[in-house]
Amino acid sequence: MTAVAPPIARRTALFHAPDWLRTVDHKDIGVMYITMALVFLVIGGVEALVMRWQLALPEQHVVDPALYSQLFTMHGITMIFLMAIPILVGMANFIVPLQIGARDVAFPRLNALSFWLSLLGGLLLYFSFVAGGAPDAGWFAYVPLSDRAYSIGTGLDYYALGLAVNGAGTIVGALNLVVTIALMRAPGMSVSRIPLFTWMVLVTSALILLAYPALSADLVLLLVDRYMGAHFFTPQAGGDALIWQHLFWFFGHPEVYIVILPAFGMISEVIPVFSGKPIFGYRFVAASSVAIGFLSMGVWAHHMFAVGLGNEADDFFSAASMLIAIPTGVKIFNWIATMIGGRLRFTTSMLFAVGFLTVFVFGGLTGVTLATIPLDWMVTQSYYVVAHMHYVLFGGVVFGVFAGSYYWFPKITGRLLSERLGKWHFWLVYLGFNLTFLPQHLVGIEGMPRRVWTYPASMGWGPLNFASSIGAAILAVGVAVFAVNVLLSLRSGEIAGDDPWDAWTLEWATSSPPPPGNFVQTPVVTSRRPLWDRKHPDRPDPS
Amino acid sequence: MPGGSVRTSTEAIASLGTIVGAIAVVILVGVEIAIVYAIWRYRSSRVGGIPPQITGNTRLEVIWTVLPAITLVVVFVLMIGTMNEIAAAPSSYQGAMPLVVRGHQWWWELRYPQKDGTEVVAANEIHIPVSTEIDVSLQSADVIHSFWVPQLAGKMDLIPGRDNHLRLYASRTGTYFGACAEYCGIEHAWMRLRIVVEPADRFQTWLRGQAASRAAPSGLAQKGEQVFTTALCASCHTVRGSSASGAAGPDLTHLASRTTIGAGVLPNNDASLHDWVADPQRFKPGSFMPLVPLAPDDLNAVIAYLRSLQ
Ligand code: HEC
Ligand code: HEM
Ligand SMILES: [Cu+2]
Repeated sequence: MTAVAPPIARRTALFHAPDWLRTVDHKDIGVMYITMALVFLVIGGVEALVMRWQLALPEQHVVDPALYSQLFTMHGITMIFLMAIPILVGMANFIVPLQIGARDVAFPRLNALSFWLSLLGGLLLYFSFVAGGAPDAGWFAYVPLSDRAYSIGTGLDYYALGLAVNGAGTIVGALNLVVTIALMRAPGMSVSRIPLFTWMVLVTSALILLAYPALSADLVLLLVDRYMGAHFFTPQAGGDALIWQHLFWFFGHPEVYIVILPAFGMISEVIPVFSGKPIFGYRFVAASSVAIGFLSMGVWAHHMFAVGLGNEADDFFSAASMLIAIPTGVKIFNWIATMIGGRLRFTTSMLFAVGFLTVFVFGGLTGVTLATIPLDWMVTQSYYVVAHMHYVLFGGVVFGVFAGSYYWFPKITGRLLSERLGKWHFWLVYLGFNLTFLPQHLVGIEGMPRRVWTYPASMGWGPLNFASSIGAAILAVGVAVFAVNVLLSLRSGEIAGDDPWDAWTLEWATSSPPPPGNFVQTPVVTSRRPLWDRKHPDRPDPS
Repeated sequence: MPGGSVRTSTEAIASLGTIVGAIAVVILVGVEIAIVYAIWRYRSSRVGGIPPQITGNTRLEVIWTVLPAITLVVVFVLMIGTMNEIAAAPSSYQGAMPLVVRGHQWWWELRYPQKDGTEVVAANEIHIPVSTEIDVSLQSADVIHSFWVPQLAGKMDLIPGRDNHLRLYASRTGTYFGACAEYCGIEHAWMRLRIVVEPADRFQTWLRGQAASRAAPSGLAQKGEQVFTTALCASCHTVRGSSASGAAGPDLTHLASRTTIGAGVLPNNDASLHDWVADPQRFKPGSFMPLVPLAPDDLNAVIAYLRSLQ
């Protein structure tokens, strides 16, 4: 380690809560997004625990089927729209301008608007509980079940309104990020020097702009059907129930890449730094994200192999889905190759990144089995899908976010998260996660459908479900340790300093937390790893 | 036997699943070993100094792009073979025995079209002859459901306004369990299904039995029929041979021949039938069969009647 060049920022006080109502600062808004997401993580987690309690034993009656249906619907919506998206957008909001050496995002006030719309959408969704019942038709709310004829209450109106408002916020936020990344990079940061987290946020944002409008349109059709009797979806009146599914999945499949790509980005920052080596094959990793984004627009009907579209159509969507496995595999190989030959520091952040690798491969492979149409006919809509989905959503997105949290918490707050609690957090979550979701693959293959509020004792699914519920309890303890860690570290965590991890991207060149305006003078970028160049002037990064 | 196939769809899918699963396991184990190797070999306590700053290796990266691509082509080709065998397109097994399954929230209506143009109606328990291709026509009376008997075939959805087809073939006699696999409302969990595969002659006997009108009730059962047709029951249920001709609930003409009631929620015996009619919401909360208040005597008579519907 050679001498560190003088900081390009002045010091600021340690973390203080943002002025919620008035702020338009990207860092404050980032923190607000993250706070919102963590609150909803707890709510969605509690919903999940109640479901696992109900399912722990066959033919239990902890909750009734009406409530169970609201729970899994709200859990799914919460985790996707009110937890995953906000936490990723929030971290992008905080980190991206810093990583590209900008003073803020392109449209700060629009940024505040997008946060408030996202939150308002979430509040509308939860208001449904007091307004007479939450939506209960699943997170993809298939018609005709979600149409007025079969869902008379107001739950699905809140679903449509809440998601439309929330989605408008997400679209505006994505626009902002695209423009920011396109136009506000520091001098010298050519396209091939964009840090990978920022790069993947760019792809995600572009995907949001392409995919979300389909959801908005679908929701409007649903509302018009429900309130004006338009019958877009009613076959008896010339409509078609499958329109909903096509539009929903035209949004819905890109959505899962929208949430996973920023997590890939976090992993692509964390693994190189804690391996002491640059990412292996920057161009492949960056280009594979674009390939994933592109392909993800053409795979939606792999959620519809059992609706009877015909073998030809199914084959097309199967092939496209399998293609996506290639760029995804490339990433995994490149991450491992980054570790090989390095010097691995197992901080909690790195633990989560490596944990991510080990479980995400599994989720990716079960994904290929689901793209294989006859296998999908067998296991779709069963617990196998629930297991697959959580391997990629929890094992992928949430593990990635945990890795990113330990990595960037010091930048955001000026204090380190406790590594000791972090190890507990990691191991409890890792164990609990696998115990919860591994058995679900088996019980799905054995024939247990998803979205069932209970199951017959005679089918013999009790023990695996019990194991799964125990796993969920362990997982919950793990997440609680994280919550304690955050709260304790906010108050009395070790002071971090500007660059606690000996990292290379621009956010580590400013103080922790960064001052308003981020940088005293605009940093100049000389390679993919500007701070490496400052630390090793004798052998600058070749890129 | 049309199609000439000798395997159930599930057997065909299972052998594909074994191959794809084996490929997946090999990849999984390989990748996990690489990860564990990296962790163990390059942990900081074993390596000193700044590691060499390698930025990539195009040859390697091309290799690990192309190899998975080849693997996936293999999987895709195998998959097409299996799909041709299962032949989800109805044209390839014309001449198969037709069976219409209509989904309702939350029970199954069954219709066996006969050569003479009539239909034999049953509910919730499908009987089929062994070693016979069945062309199942899947329809829905309300929302989307999905037909799934894991031991015999993959899923196919029942979608209002559409007529989907599924090939069903069982090579062994026995009882198979199935369920609705598309969330169709709050009692989706208790939209279970039972398939009895039996030798052709036993199947024909069963079918003739189901085609017949109800056995004329006598004694207590006769009183039961009166209660049944005058209380609300008859507005929702059909008992052929009586005046009851409702269509909102399952046909009860041969209720006593079924093993379970409420699409699998209770066994079909005196006690549970009694409990069910006394308060269906206790066992299947949300079900569209309401609690119909009956005097204890009337209730007993109705149960005697229902039990007589062999
Ligand atoms: C409003 C319509 C309605 C009325 C009235 C009604 N039922 Fe039902 N019944 C249903 C429906 C719908 C089901 C299917 C329930 C399910 O499985 O979810 C059903 C199921 C049943 C079953 C079980 C059938 C099977 O094969 O599983 C029996 C037995 C039955 N009803 C008897 C009665 C009797 C006796 C009465 C009168 C006291 C009655 N029902 C009144 C609608 C009705
Ligand atoms: C805390 C750990 C979690 C547990 C124990 C858990 C458990 C469950 C359970 C029991 C279901 C219902 C399955 C069914 O009935 O079909 C479910 C559904 C779902 N979960 Fe989770 N979950 C967890 C975390 C997550 C996370 C982190 C995400 C997303 C990022 C997520 C996304 C979903 C989705 C999208 C559904 C589908 C909802 C639907 O069927 O409409 N879950 N989860
Ligand atoms: Cu159903």
